[in-house]
Parts: sequence; C-alpha cells; structure tokens
Amino acid sequence: MNIQDNYLKNKRNIFFSENKDIQNHREKLINIFQNDRFDKKNNESLKNVNLKNFIDFNYKYLNPEETSVINNNKENSYSIVSVNGQCSSFKDDKIEIIKILDEDYNDFSKNNTIENNDHFVNLNSLFLNSGFKILIKKNNNIKIKISNIVTDDDLTIFQKNNFICEEGSSLNLIEEYENKNNSMSNILNVINLEKNSYLKHFLIQDNSPNHNLIITSHSSCKKDSSYTQKIYNFSEGYVRNFHYSELIETNSEVDLQGIFFLKDNNTSNNKTFVKHLAEDCKSNQVYKGILSDRSKATYFSNTYVDQVAQKTEGYQLSKGILLSDNASYFSKPELKIYADDVKCSHGSTIGPIDENAIFYLRSRGMSKIAATKILISSFINEELNSIDNEQMSEIIQKKLVRYLSKVK
Amino acid sequence: MFLEIKDLSVKIENKNILKGLNLNINKGEVHAIMGPNGSGKSTLANVLAGKEDYEILNGKVNFKDNDLFDLNIEERAQEGLFLAFQYPVEIPGVNITPFLHSAINSKKKRMNEEEIDNLSFAKLLKSKASDLGINIDMLKRSVNTGFSGGEKKRYEILQMSILNPDLAILDETDSGLDIDALKIVTDGVNKLKTKDNSFLIITHYQKLLDYIKPDYVHVMVNGSIVKSGGSEIAAEIEKDGFQKF
Repeated sequence: MNIQDNYLKNKRNIFFSENKDIQNHREKLINIFQNDRFDKKNNESLKNVNLKNFIDFNYKYLNPEETSVINNNKENSYSIVSVNGQCSSFKDDKIEIIKILDEDYNDFSKNNTIENNDHFVNLNSLFLNSGFKILIKKNNNIKIKISNIVTDDDLTIFQKNNFICEEGSSLNLIEEYENKNNSMSNILNVINLEKNSYLKHFLIQDNSPNHNLIITSHSSCKKDSSYTQKIYNFSEGYVRNFHYSELIETNSEVDLQGIFFLKDNNTSNNKTFVKHLAEDCKSNQVYKGILSDRSKATYFSNTYVDQVAQKTEGYQLSKGILLSDNASYFSKPELKIYADDVKCSHGSTIGPIDENAIFYLRSRGMSKIAATKILISSFINEELNSIDNEQMSEIIQKKLVRYLSKVK
Repeated sequence: MFLEIKDLSVKIENKNILKGLNLNINKGEVHAIMGPNGSGKSTLANVLAGKEDYEILNGKVNFKDNDLFDLNIEERAQEGLFLAFQYPVEIPGVNITPFLHSAINSKKKRMNEEEIDNLSFAKLLKSKASDLGINIDMLKRSVNTGFSGGEKKRYEILQMSILNPDLAILDETDSGLDIDALKIVTDGVNKLKTKDNSFLIITHYQKLLDYIKPDYVHVMVNGSIVKSGGSEIAAEIEKDGFQKF
C-alpha cells in the first residue's frame, strides 16, 4: 500500500488529523513521498534500510489498556512505564508530564526543523499515534527512568516526545528499550534546554531480532546548558539512532556517545548533525562499534560551525572493530567550518582486531577467544568507565558479557 | 634435551628467513644468539612463540618432549615458554594486574596446579615489582600503554618473573635501555636463573652479555647458525663485527 492510501485508511486513528494546519502539512509530506525516488546514494536516512519494511507497512496501533505508571519512589526520582508510546499525565511541584493529545500540537511541532529530507521523521509526523511531554521545572534536579514497552506483535508506534529542562534544572534520564515482539517503533524526541540547564540522557537498546527501533532526537541548547546522550545498542533488531543538535546560545555543550554491539545480519545506522550557532560552544562525539558475522553499521556525522561561532570546540571520533570479513562499518565524519577561531578535529579508525595484541596476550597463556574478548572490552573501556551511575554500569556490563559469550 | 631445533626452515611472504637452523639447549643453560640485522633472530623468537604469520617449510622443534608445532601459542606459554618482546605491544584498556593474574592461572590450570587467589597474587606481584624497581602505581595502568622504552622492557621482565618460565627467550631486551635500566633488567634475569630453567638471549651487542653470562654463544647469519662457542665469540664480534661470518 502506498503512503497516501495507508494514511487515508488509518487517518481517524492518527493524532491531530482533524487539525487543518496539520492536515495541510501532512499533505505536503505525502507529496514528498510520492515524488521521491528514494535515492539511497544521496539520502543518508535510507542507507542500509530495507525500504519495503519501512515505507510499505501495515499500520496497526493499540491504545494501552492500563494507563502507564509514574512512581515517585524516591525524592526527585521518577519511574515511568511508557506503553505503546503513551504514559499518563502527572504533575507535582518539580515536574509535569502531559500526554501529547492534551498538548497544543502546533506548539509541540514548532521546534521540528528536521523534516523533509529525513523520511523517518516525515513518517513520524504523518502517522503520529503516541507521545508525551516532560517538563522539569526551574532549578530542580531530577532523575527519571523510562521503560518503553510495546505490548503486541505487528504494532507500528509513531511517537513524539518533548523534554524541556527549565532554567537551572538538571535531568538524569535513563530510557530502556527491551522489546521481544515483532513491532516497529519510530520515535522523535525533541529536547529543549533552557539557560544553565543540564540533561544527561542514557538510552539502553536491547530489542529482539524482529523489533525495529528508529530514534531521532533533536536537541536545542541555550546559554550555559549542556546535553549529553549516551547510547548502548545491544539490539538484535534494526536500530537507527539519529541526532540533530543546535547550540544556539553561548557556552552551551553537546556530548554524544554511541556504542553498538552487532551480530548476525543486524544493522545499526547512526547519524549526527551538530550546528554551532553561537560563540564558545563545545561538541564532542564518540561512536564505537563492534561488528561480527554479516552485520553492518553506518555513522554519518556533520559538524557545522557558523561564522558567528568563534571559539568553537568540535570533535568527532568513530572507531570500529570488525570481527568478521563479512561485517562492514561505513563512517563519514565531516566538518563545515565558517569561523576562523575554532578547534575542531575528526577521525575514524575501523579494522579487524589487532593481531599483534592477540599474539601478545596469547603468548602469556591466554586463549584466543579470551584474548579477543579482553580486547573488545578494552576497546570500550573508557566509555564504560565513564558511566557514573552504578545501576546503569551493572546493566551494561551484564549485556556486554552476554554479547561476548556469543563472540566466536 | 630441553629444546631441540632441527633443520628449521621458515618463510614469510615468499621470503625465506630461516634456512636449516639447528640449535640444542639443555636444562639450566644460557644461550646467546648474536647476528646482524635481518639475519632472522627475531623470526626465530617469534616462530618458537607461535606467531602465525610464518610458514614452516621444513624441520622440527621439540620442547620438553612436545612437538612444539603441535601446540598453539597459548599452550606453548602454558608449557613454560616465554618470549620477552623486542617491541612490547601497547594494549590500552587492559589493566596489567588482572591480565597477569589470568595469565599465571591459565598456566597453573594446564599444570593441574591450584590457581592463585587475588590476595596471594597481589602480594606476589608487589614483591616482584619491588625487586625490579617498578613503581606500584605502574601496575594500575594498561598493558605497556604510555610506558617509556625502559619501562616496557622492565615490565616484560616482571611478567617473566611472575610466570617463571622453563625457557625464556629475550628478543633484544637490551635495545633502547640506558645502562641503569639494563642493569635492573639483567639483575632480574639473573635472579630467575636456576638449574631447572633455560634462557635464549638474542642480542646485537656484547654489552648485555657482560651482565648475563651465557654458557654458549651462537652467531646467526642469513637464517642459520654459522658458528657456536663460548663467550669469546661475543668478544670477537665486539672487536671485528659480523663481517667475517
């Protein structure tokens, strides 16, 4: 079924389909799909993607039977269970959670500057069926853990979330995606950081082979604010992690880290686009992958430094270990610099495991498999050691041990 | 015979390196191999340790009644063969202490000996490091990472003293060492020497042999041993070079 027919057939189940402005906007998006040739070479959102799965899909959505739980288990600490992309509303003096349907969608979508060229974001806007907004109120220091649950097979979740940290607030956010069913989640996270706020965002992805996860996030940082994103992808199903970031006021920072562990025929697509639009801002990106069997990964990275963005620091690094001749990792870090007083660098190293290091370790009595595992662990040691949350660190270590147990 | 190398020929990438090499080492003996650059000394060390880049064309090597070529790299190490690398590999992120602990226990496991626990290992490591003048802080670092040339060589000898091998091959351990470091390293080797273990020392220069007294000195040229004898050969080489061989 083509996109238009699919949309028209399911329109009444899609959020905001009665809103005229949104209706007009969606018609434009449908036109993009109808006129696009889906040129995989020139559209990074299409690399390594089985188009049939994502464009020609059977729309199915179930409203969750039970409302999601918000549990204020400790002071300043909240646990949220998001079911099929929805969670119930909540409000106290520190945070506010609003269902997307209760929100003015025009307000909700105004930050979205990444549509059009990214087909998955366009699909998200077209078929939107879930999502929520979380607001951290001024000067509060909050921890939130969100478990993202998909209840049934064959569901197509199109979810849009908005995270807002008001001035002087900080949020430590852990999101878990561990789904075993045959479904697809297409999630757009729009993140707004007000002056002097801070968001540390961990994403643990560990879905089964038939669960496809597409996450696109867009962060916007005002003066003295900082956004950190750390992704640990152990999924056996397809995962796409794209992040678009704008440093719009001085002394703001974005720190992006992605580690992926791939095997079998799995694919992980990663992309970042960081725009430095003000002076004295910093961006740092580290993407590392371990790929075995016939797995594939991409990392497209673009750091743009505007002419007003003097004293920018922008770093990009990607590294990959290929454990098999049939595994591949395509990395393309790019810098576009229009200011003259900047410190920027990019680098990429991808290759098989260091045979000299294997020989050295084996020459001390360590088996080949033990040497391989110890070298894989050491490859991501710095990133694992930088996890300052004990519970998170334990979770990641356990998943790493499970991945290593399958390394041949 | 402890180590018996018979008519060993080896090539790498279509280039013959070892050409019918013969060498016998008995228990408790120290042998030195001297030779010019490119004569195949390091190849011999690597082939004995099991590096897989080489093709064995001919010959046999017996080590402690085992056909060495029947053993893989780690089995050779577990049987008591140790190679002190000419260029120790830097392995960022692999911490020295757990790595060495795991190495010694893999050997003990093969020998059906009781594995050494954390506490006993920490004590052993501390005492051996102190013997070699190695700062305890260095043991918290990653294997060879950020070490100076001298530190790397000292760390090789520390590993050797922990693993206590039956046959230690020192591949140009003296290269890049100043005189003080050379003395520390050679003292470490001399402390390890017993009537039950053997050493094969590969070097360009006589200097190392002033500190570790070999029982036999062999001259290796173009992939085979062309002359064997006592310490007087080393003095001869120091005086006249390798030209006449």
